Amino acid sequence: MKKRSLVLVTVDCLRADHVGFQGYSRPVTPNLDALAANSVIFSNAIVAGAPTYFSFPAILASRYPLALGRDVLGIAPHESTLATVLHDAGYATAAFLAGNPYLSRRYGYDQGFDRFQDFLSSDGSGPLPLGTTRGRFSKLNQLIQSATHRNGLLAGAYEELYFWYCQWRTAQQDLPMDTLRRYPAANVLVDEAKSWLNSLGEQPFFLWLHLMDPHHPYFPPEESFAELGAPRITARRARFLNSFWNRGDIGPERLRRYKSEILSLYDAGVHWVDKQLSRLVETLQNSQRWDETVFVVTADHGEAFLEHDDRYHSPTSLPEHLIHVPLLLHARELSGKRLSLQRPFSLIHLAPTLLDAVGVSAPDSFHGRSGWGEMSAGELSWEPAITECVDGCNNPAQADDRLRPRLMAVRDEELKLVVNFRESRDYLYDLRNDPGERMPLSPGQRTRERANLLQIARRHLLRTSENQNTDLRLRARLRELQQSGRMAGREASLS
Amino acid sequence: MDQYRTVNLPEDLCVAAEKFMTGRFESLEVLIGFLLQEVVKDDVSKFDQAEERMIEQRLKDLGYI
Repeated sequence: MKKRSLVLVTVDCLRADHVGFQGYSRPVTPNLDALAANSVIFSNAIVAGAPTYFSFPAILASRYPLALGRDVLGIAPHESTLATVLHDAGYATAAFLAGNPYLSRRYGYDQGFDRFQDFLSSDGSGPLPLGTTRGRFSKLNQLIQSATHRNGLLAGAYEELYFWYCQWRTAQQDLPMDTLRRYPAANVLVDEAKSWLNSLGEQPFFLWLHLMDPHHPYFPPEESFAELGAPRITARRARFLNSFWNRGDIGPERLRRYKSEILSLYDAGVHWVDKQLSRLVETLQNSQRWDETVFVVTADHGEAFLEHDDRYHSPTSLPEHLIHVPLLLHARELSGKRLSLQRPFSLIHLAPTLLDAVGVSAPDSFHGRSGWGEMSAGELSWEPAITECVDGCNNPAQADDRLRPRLMAVRDEELKLVVNFRESRDYLYDLRNDPGERMPLSPGQRTRERANLLQIARRHLLRTSENQNTDLRLRARLRELQQSGRMAGREASLS
Repeated sequence: MDQYRTVNLPEDLCVAAEKFMTGRFESLEVLIGFLLQEVVKDDVSKFDQAEERMIEQRLKDLGYI
């Protein structure tokens, strides 16, 4: 029997509540919505780690992000992934990743791919930073900044004046969105993917696309606004909005004034993804490969827009808007009607499920298990989904930043336990009555359920530490030693 | 560190390691010592153990263990 092909599309920062097929009122994803009518929709797909660098070991290798030790980043050398397994099974494999540095060769994501294009420039050059200036005033600026920051009021006044000065300077440059954008837009990746697909013969393939269009700074293609029926935001305005949204010196109330425009930029990015994915689907249909392909769209994490006065996707909390992602799976035998699965589905189970769907065995190293059989029968029966990260680890490239306590969420259908190990506290939320997670239940409420979720958390900690793959851990640590320059060795001695 | 142990390693591996470390480490012994120090260094298990203890304590507080 001919093996089936697999297309995995991961969209950075895509929230579940911002796609039409999961209830978003704005028409940002008409093509995916149409596809969803003949697909399996996992209504409660939950990432196993957030953000990107904690999410992808689970997506590609079905491994909890901290299972090799919280000091290990990325995919370990010789670790089994979707790509390595499918490559060994005779698949042609390719990855086109829109310039996320955490999904690069450096962190082992190229393993198993015949073709790996991460769109990262080798010299680190790129568009101008947001609303900043360079040149002869920078030293003077540093002196003024240092002097004024001795006093709180003066510091605030300085930051405000400096921000508006930078805006005035940069407003004189009329740069288009395409220049301001930090990552290649989805159309660039889909073009590359189409070329690659057209070069294939009859062998089955695994194609992975990672799209960054909804990721900040938000600079979507301008035609996306017109298609959305939304007021156009000029490149100049978008540059100002991104600069303002990025300010660390002001509070949420001032940021809120621009939230709706920021959301428009974000939604336009999502819409562009939707449009480009329809081109990819069309290519597969026109080449008569659609019926033999399992097509999956999901995300590595969501994005915050001041729900808890937070922005972006920092691993300092694990709210629903960060860990609840869309998951759409289209396969020929499951098409014909929409199948919506309600129970929480952890992305730790995605890779084994996809391998099962294409008829390839999953390795024993995978932590998750296949849901293909149950899904085909229309129901899932899983234990609650676990999400973990290193609390506050915003710069994982710095090894010390990973040596912090864990943050963990255990998510059931209606309850969610968040364990904050730094605070030695746990918070239980009733998602049915408090979907915004604003009022943790008091310690005396739902005690039995709280204890049950704590037991699951405990089993997870014990299982991952007892079953740690020390060989993979050692390989990953050695890779980091070489990359960090510590193997230059001048400082090394026996003492 | 004043006690030492002698170990036997394949000659071809030692030759390859010496080529690798040229200009980086004073000797094969220094390279191997460095690598072993990195391997046994354990900055992370103390976090794991503390987290396991915290959860156990919570369950005890709730009367479940």
